[in-house]
Amino acid sequence: MGIKGLTKLLADNAPKAMKEQKFESFFGRKIAIDASMSIYQFLIVVGRSGTEMLTNEAGEVTSHLQGMFSRTIRLLEAGLKPVYVFDGKPPDLKKQELAKRFSRRADATEDLTEALETGNKEEIEKFSKRTVKVTKQHNEDCKKLLRLMGVPVIEAPSEAEAQCAALCKSGKVYAVASEDMDSLTFGAPKFLRHLMDPSSRKIPVMEFDITKILEELNLTMDQFIDLCILSGCDYCDSIRGIGGQTALKLIRQHGSIENILENINRERYQIPDDWPYQEARRLFKEPQVFSDDEQLDIKWSAPDEEGLITFLVNENGFNSDRVTKAIEKIKTAKNKSSQGRLESFFKPVVSSSIPIKRKETEDKAAKETTNKKSKAGGGSKRKK
Amino acid sequence: MLELRLVQGSLLKKVLEAIKDLVNDANFDCSATGFSLQAMDSSHVALVALLLRSEGFEHYRCDRNISMGMNLNNMSKMLKCAGNDDIITIKADDGSDTVTFMFESPTQDKIADFEMKLMDIDSEHLGIPEAEYHAIVRMPSSEFQRICKDLSSIGDTVVISVTKEGVKFSTRGDIGTANIVCRQNTTVDKPEEATVIEMNEPVSLTFALRYMNSFTKATPLSNTVTISLSSELPVVVEYKIAEMGYIRFYLAPKIEEDEDETKPQA
Repeated sequence: MGIKGLTKLLADNAPKAMKEQKFESFFGRKIAIDASMSIYQFLIVVGRSGTEMLTNEAGEVTSHLQGMFSRTIRLLEAGLKPVYVFDGKPPDLKKQELAKRFSRRADATEDLTEALETGNKEEIEKFSKRTVKVTKQHNEDCKKLLRLMGVPVIEAPSEAEAQCAALCKSGKVYAVASEDMDSLTFGAPKFLRHLMDPSSRKIPVMEFDITKILEELNLTMDQFIDLCILSGCDYCDSIRGIGGQTALKLIRQHGSIENILENINRERYQIPDDWPYQEARRLFKEPQVFSDDEQLDIKWSAPDEEGLITFLVNENGFNSDRVTKAIEKIKTAKNKSSQGRLESFFKPVVSSSIPIKRKETEDKAAKETTNKKSKAGGGSKRKK
Repeated sequence: MLELRLVQGSLLKKVLEAIKDLVNDANFDCSATGFSLQAMDSSHVALVALLLRSEGFEHYRCDRNISMGMNLNNMSKMLKCAGNDDIITIKADDGSDTVTFMFESPTQDKIADFEMKLMDIDSEHLGIPEAEYHAIVRMPSSEFQRICKDLSSIGDTVVISVTKEGVKFSTRGDIGTANIVCRQNTTVDKPEEATVIEMNEPVSLTFALRYMNSFTKATPLSNTVTISLSSELPVVVEYKIAEMGYIRFYLAPKIEEDEDETKPQA
């Protein structure tokens, strides 16, 4: 999913573009969350053991509701303002990828039946996770829950990540939270990973800054999109034998996929016959998103207490006490005054001092120019 | 080349104790004017600005404007190794990636060199405009420290209001409420014991006590503290460092959010 190996590629080549942040430091921030990704995580993680999942009396799975409810409350308590964005219709190009996922799920279902027969617990765990699919019903349940909680929901026309990125670009939210790295390819200025991880895992939130990524990689946004397509995205195949590191080198050398195709050794690298990279690029650059204010009704309101109790306790078998307590939490979180930030009062200025220690970036830039001169195909490790 | 010799070495120790809990890493800037630092806490709610003017050093050599990124916790560890009466000299060579702290005992019979690795810190520098404040309160720093400590046992936030009556610090928590009023009082034996309130306009602002408490770690640096308040600005809590400069803490106020909810987000 997302862009293959991008996290590692960035960690190696643009370490300054990623910063570990405390979950709490996002208080007061509006954050667009890729809902489908979160629901998928909840279905895998929340209340599962073997093939057993949390269910209501009717036997319908409720893991997603449990997860969505508790994590969203955690966000609200920390003073964050989440906006959940749901997937719309997938673009045609993604159908291939989706078909692949479908067949992988089918395989996993077979494996699971086999594992159940042999009774191998580890295998059961592994394959049952792989059979998880987010259904329309899961999505609808979560939307209903969020609306009752007073949290805004946006239904994207197409890809949720693209819509999240658009919200962030237009300044309607501070950042996009997802586990899917293609949020960056869609140009989300700030992108957060691990925001929705359970607090028990104690993983700090990783904040990516796209302008810093481009600066550190020394690429334009268009080149970055090409890099992502070459590394492997959801929309088209990648060239065999080209991974992230090689893709970065090629983009730096030739500037665009077109130029790479002209200069690349076609014997060594097989270019797929049907390779709609231009179409993929278009999807990243001009994705189908809403931009009207009317379509984007982002408002946080008071929770509907009765509605929540009917939905969660009566219809889905949640513990009544716990739900009442949780509603109290939402209400107190709403009434808290929020902490201001210094940036809203003082504006950044450029400091005139020069670091006594020579900056690594300068070193790196110097190394890169020497690197460019040397022929491609050499070791990817930079030498002094 | 940089060489700063500070006879009153304990001062630097106290400065570090005052800021190291608020900020993890920071760039120290050196220029002909002095040795300074500006840094924010990780959530960008509070800012510390430090200035030690060059005149305050016994010897001050700084050939060009440079900055040195340091981990304040590590720096504090090193400075803790200096005696309270020691003379501290800060030294760094151009292009070097270390800074040296030299501690000399007053009798010159012991000299210690501590070398610390520098860091490459990407920090934002904020421009802080000179402002007219609605109200300025000067009071004994120990008194302010006591108030912050007492209130934080009751609540999380403090409302500071200045009126003609005086300055009021109040809080509210699960167990109850607390209000402390300090009136202007200049009939004291020592000038540093006075409470002076200058008010152009009444003002009332809410702040997180957690940060206020952290600022009061600078209390050993000065007998008095000056609190400057304006309704549109962060509060400034300033501790003057005798004959050398100051340490100033800026804290963004808490905001009521209702208007934000209903107004369309631009």
